[in-house]
Amino acid sequence: MIRKLGSRWLLAGLVVFAIAAAACGSTPSPSGNKGNITVAGFNFPESSILAELYAQALEHDGYTVTRKLRLGTREVVGPAIKSGQIDLYPGYAATDLEFYNGGAGEATGDVTATVQKLNARLQPLGMQALTPSSAVDQNAFAVTKATAQQYNLTKLSDLAPIGDKLVLGAGPECPTRPFCLPGLEKTYGIHFKSFKALDTDGPATRAAFANGTIQVGLVFSSDSDLNKLGLVVLQDDKHLENADNVVPIIRQKVATDEVKNVLNKVSAGLDTKTLVTLNGQVELNHQDADAVARAFLQQHNYFS
Amino acid sequence: MAGHLFLDAEPWVDWAWVSTHVPTVLGYLGQHVELTAISLAGGIVISLPLGVAAYRWTGLRLPALGLFGTFYTIPSLAFFALMVPYTGISELTALIPLTGYNVLILLRNVIVGLDEVPRDVLDAADGMGYRPFARLLRIELPLALPAMLAGLRVATVSTIGIITIASVIALGGLGELIYQGFIESFRTPLVVGMVLCVAFALVADVLLAGVRRLAMPWARSG
Repeated sequence: MIRKLGSRWLLAGLVVFAIAAAACGSTPSPSGNKGNITVAGFNFPESSILAELYAQALEHDGYTVTRKLRLGTREVVGPAIKSGQIDLYPGYAATDLEFYNGGAGEATGDVTATVQKLNARLQPLGMQALTPSSAVDQNAFAVTKATAQQYNLTKLSDLAPIGDKLVLGAGPECPTRPFCLPGLEKTYGIHFKSFKALDTDGPATRAAFANGTIQVGLVFSSDSDLNKLGLVVLQDDKHLENADNVVPIIRQKVATDEVKNVLNKVSAGLDTKTLVTLNGQVELNHQDADAVARAFLQQHNYFS
Repeated sequence: MAGHLFLDAEPWVDWAWVSTHVPTVLGYLGQHVELTAISLAGGIVISLPLGVAAYRWTGLRLPALGLFGTFYTIPSLAFFALMVPYTGISELTALIPLTGYNVLILLRNVIVGLDEVPRDVLDAADGMGYRPFARLLRIELPLALPAMLAGLRVATVSTIGIITIASVIALGGLGELIYQGFIESFRTPLVVGMVLCVAFALVADVLLAGVRRLAMPWARSG
């Protein structure tokens, strides 16, 4: 009888222990003086760096920042900010405009006009885009040096006559995005042999280049590793790609003048060259995004 | 970076990185343990009474197992994504699917364990004058314990693996290291996350095997 009672208590004890262990795990976050701001980033390193730059500048100014880095694609981040689960993320003017307008094709190569239209779309959602940075991370299409030599390729329009011999690789959203597959077909008249759904400029795309699964792949203008990989970016000679300048997208509820000043100051200090360097520190040298961001802000006297 | 994961001469583990990231890594491990513990506790709290009820009233078995069986077939990644609009980017988003998966494994084992209690033992208990509730607590549940603990071990190990997917929507745990290693094409966090995940599963399994020995001294061999 005692043994049997013991096993019953042991089972109950196990349950209690599990619940207690669970309860111990969560610690409340300290509250800051000026309020809490949740900063998110997309699932690529540059976004983590940008999110850290904005987050650390806000922290230095006295805000408490919750980070949701590597949150996902815009399809995850967009709904998260709309519903108020996050307050701020480093956006890209044209891509965000085309996301919030449902791919209406309003974005152009003109960054001022693009941000203006973006703000018209964001306002009814209780959000806004701040002053765009001169740093640009645009979609670009790359081929290997071997492919470039074989077909004598330097610009995207060179692909039109030979597209049916090549496979395009990009993120699974590419066939629905006006600046990806539909744009290549409409603007350049390129019809690929097939489309291979990979990741957006990530490891899967690079592996597919390396093993010859794809000949043309979507990359970004601020990538730090194109030379190292022997990839050549084809010139966008018909201006398919829009002004994808870095721009903080923020919920109006937290966008006080002070917050805007802090964020705009960070944006003003960025350009594409800086972005490539910072990306290289994380992607090639394996430094942490937060350390890279801190070093940059210190070096440029944001903390003084 | 990445394809490079498998092409260049980068070492599998950069120990300098590991030595400077101990607090970060331990933080993710803590989250992983926490998510595992809560989802298992939730699974036990739901499946134990439900299993007993399904044992008593057999009509309940098909609907209960069917419901959680359907739950189990929903891919975890889709599940996490579907939960976000309702539960936000919070631990709850990871915990609800994980608990649901555990319930199926545990429920089945509770029912099987109770079913396998020999009829003559129950007759003897009735003969000794046990009332139904006392018989359940003192005879049936202890005898069903081996099957229930076997289920708990399966649920624990499977939960520890599934949680890594939660990192795809930034819900924490060792998956964050694996995901970071993947998107930054950096082997070290990927390997560290994977090794710790496997180690945690092994430790948890050994601990539960120990619990089984303590709980059922009569089952000890020799």
